Amino acid sequence: MRTSKYIISLLLLLSSLFSFSQEEEEKAPLEINGYVRNYTGVLLEPPNDFSIIQNTLNLEFKMQTDKIGFYANPFVYQYENRANIFDVRELYIDLFTKKVDFRIGRQQVIWGQADGVFITDIVSPKNLTDFLLWDFNEIRIGVNVIKTKYYPHDDHEIELVLIPSFTPTISPEEGSIWRPEMSFPAPVIFDYSKQDVPVNLENGEAFGRYSISKSAFDVQLMGGYTWNDDPSMHITKEIDTSTMELSGLTVTPEHHRLYLSGLSFNTDIKGFILRGEGAYYFDKYFQTENPKATDALTQKDELNYVVGLDKTIGDWKISGQFIQTIIIEYDDFIQDDEVRNMATLMVNRTLFREKVRLELFTYYGIDNEDAFVRLRGFYFPKDAISIELGGNVFLGTTGLFGQYYQNNMLYAKVKYNF
Amino acid sequence: MKTIKFKARVIAIALISAFGISEVTAQSADEIAKKVYNRTTAKDGESDMTMKLVNSKGETRTRLIHQFFKDYGTVEKKTMFFKSPADVKNTAFMNWTYDDDKDDDQWLYLPALKKVKRISSSSKDNAFMGSDFTYEDMEKRNPNKDTHKLLRTVKYKNETCYVIESTPKEEGQYAKRIAWVIKDKWIPLKIEFYDEDVELLKVLTITDYKKIKDYWIIVNQEMKNVQKNHKTIITLSNIKVDIGLGDTRFTQRAMQRGL
Repeated sequence: MRTSKYIISLLLLLSSLFSFSQEEEEKAPLEINGYVRNYTGVLLEPPNDFSIIQNTLNLEFKMQTDKIGFYANPFVYQYENRANIFDVRELYIDLFTKKVDFRIGRQQVIWGQADGVFITDIVSPKNLTDFLLWDFNEIRIGVNVIKTKYYPHDDHEIELVLIPSFTPTISPEEGSIWRPEMSFPAPVIFDYSKQDVPVNLENGEAFGRYSISKSAFDVQLMGGYTWNDDPSMHITKEIDTSTMELSGLTVTPEHHRLYLSGLSFNTDIKGFILRGEGAYYFDKYFQTENPKATDALTQKDELNYVVGLDKTIGDWKISGQFIQTIIIEYDDFIQDDEVRNMATLMVNRTLFREKVRLELFTYYGIDNEDAFVRLRGFYFPKDAISIELGGNVFLGTTGLFGQYYQNNMLYAKVKYNF
Repeated sequence: MKTIKFKARVIAIALISAFGISEVTAQSADEIAKKVYNRTTAKDGESDMTMKLVNSKGETRTRLIHQFFKDYGTVEKKTMFFKSPADVKNTAFMNWTYDDDKDDDQWLYLPALKKVKRISSSSKDNAFMGSDFTYEDMEKRNPNKDTHKLLRTVKYKNETCYVIESTPKEEGQYAKRIAWVIKDKWIPLKIEFYDEDVELLKVLTITDYKKIKDYWIIVNQEMKNVQKNHKTIITLSNIKVDIGLGDTRFTQRAMQRGL
């Protein structure tokens, strides 16, 4: 009885919103925007394979009134040497009231203060088909979300995100130059039978965030009941009974629940923007060599944080970040290091009244002394047309970035926005 | 002896007169600068702003922006939404300017990033969106930051104008400014900006202004960089003032939601 009352109230609320929108709808034009882009990259290592030849059509349809709106972002990736992709990055409806905004449908949800690292920004999973080379709005996968934002005051916001079905990270395909290195001490059989998380309400995800925005600072507190977007590898050993030696391994990728809470902030200190973000992950799975462990996995808490500093000096923009990950109650059997450190540096300069922009962005893995360096230049010959020339260089031979040392590349992008 | 006394008196009177005139002139220049600063402006409003960047070859790039502003007394809040060109469409910029020496608070919403970022506002001498206007050029300058001198009173574009020279008390982006201020309207019709070598750098020319409700509003202005021979023309249209804009217009929520 009580449930039906709630449903009737909700329907009345929605119908009142839609009835308002009928008047507004005539006033709101449908906006169509988008871009066409060619993206061609060639590896520096002989025989100089094309790492990517991609043509993109990205369309954006938007209509919005004071009470209602919708947005659709279909796109096509046409490839020379891969299967073409036609998909919809976002497709949602907005309902606006004085204090509450609803956004329902496929959407990207982006949180946090960090650039290029994902600590509290884990609502939308990532598409790592080409590692971290795509623009970040293309790396993030749109997911089906019911998002509610409540504004008790102009500078306070409470956000609730419900995701009915889980979407994992998209990893590089088998045979891709971006497929991460995996080494095992014995022949491996992969069992993918447990990799998919069934689509049902029980397997949904929920996130909450409380934000305060003041002149002096912006602060966000968040929590999540989610899944680890990356599967844990359950490893069982096959022992040759005649020799009692390891004869093979069965690896069963499986996603596990993840609970986290975190905060992020930014503030201006004498012209420097100080920003930070941290999250505490509870009972995360780690690969272990402990012979007593089940499936070569153990659960530990993990702390992730980033601290960044931004400064604008004339036409220069400089931004640095330090990122650290700490496994709590660490034991020496765990394969990952107890503490992992990384840094990023971004330097950006515009020239000739913003007709030219030069940018350097670097990830530096402090522990492995490896790095991913991207140097690129943009030229805007006309409004809405950009020509981008760049190089991606991987330094080191091991680690997250060093493993791709053979993938150094030059690339060009030509983009027309409309 | 008498001659010496007489000469001394003449010199003394001359000095007193000179200092006296100088004092009167200085007060007058300060008053004019204060009147420009304190010119009655709207409590809030919105308008479309067209910004044309013209290079030395005459080629033009155009930015179309819709802006809202509200004066809260000690703080003025402004949000700008970029409507074109297509690659910056739906980008939003919010600026809170304070009456005291506190740095501005600034936030930027980039639709591709889908989040609002606080940005560093210390460099007010940076060009605004690649134009010939710096961020500082686009806001009122507190007259207490400068020493003012009334150079002359002239007839300029059929208006009686005070020509005021303003020199910053602390080193700034300009060595000095010379403004032609319309008597009684307190609008500068022209401002010359001089670089650190005291060479003429830029000239701002007001080509159109009009009275909307009780306020004189500049609707067309051109900033020309005379050293590099390029210019920026800013035109306001669809101007609405004192419309009772709500505080929600000046929030991160509004930036994300767009126009």
